[in-house]
Amino acid sequence: GEDGNGVMAKKYSRDFLLKFREQYTNLPKGFECKPDVSEALAVSNVNTSHESY
Amino acid sequence: SSAKPTAPLAVESHPLEHSWTFWFDNPSAKSKQAAWGSSIRPIYTFSTVEGFWSLYNNIHLPSKLAVGADLHCFKNKIEPKWEDPVCANGGRWTVAFAKSKSDTSWLYTLLAMIGEQFDNGDEICGAVVNVRSRQERIGLWTKNAANEMAQVSIGRQWKEFLDYNEGIGFIFHDDAKLDRNPKNRYTV
Repeated sequence: GEDGNGVMAKKYSRDFLLKFREQYTNLPKGFECKPDVSEALAVSNVNTSHESY
Repeated sequence: SSAKPTAPLAVESHPLEHSWTFWFDNPSAKSKQAAWGSSIRPIYTFSTVEGFWSLYNNIHLPSKLAVGADLHCFKNKIEPKWEDPVCANGGRWTVAFAKSKSDTSWLYTLLAMIGEQFDNGDEICGAVVNVRSRQERIGLWTKNAANEMAQVSIGRQWKEFLDYNEGIGFIFHDDAKLDRNPKNRYTV
């Protein structure tokens, strides 16, 4: 979309954004988990390795 | 051809208008700290659609966070505190939910913000979800509380995005500093 000043704003509808939901399930590359925020993380979902046990 | 298309490598191809930072206020750290706000920690800053989902998909939904936790998502460089220079003259709209009922509205709030769906998006500082024993509250923080037209527009649009039909109120941070139960300055 374009705002009143003629500047293009990067607008994305909810439906558009939701299309990407299932594609990005791993934590961002280089993400560092600091101790104070670990309680916010759903640790069981974190894929740290694809290797077998 | 029967060949499957190759999955693209993690190409970050959908930049957002703004960079945003998730912050977490950890309830167990909070109880040990004297000064309010001293236990708020940044989790991660993202500036693409892909970066958002990579983080969102790996942090707890509000219904899974411990009672007392606060999860914030604010424009980068704006701290989720009244004292932040961008927030100082601002205020917040608040929507309250029964326990474990805020997950979808929290997501829709985040998507509306990062997707720049608010006509007065420049006014927005960020959003916070407060997880408490009886309820969860989502707050939408804005910059210029005195700008009634902008705040009312944001409040109305927010209710539409959440499909929320009850009245909501806007509180000035300046009032909240002085009074534990500040009066709503605007309602929609």
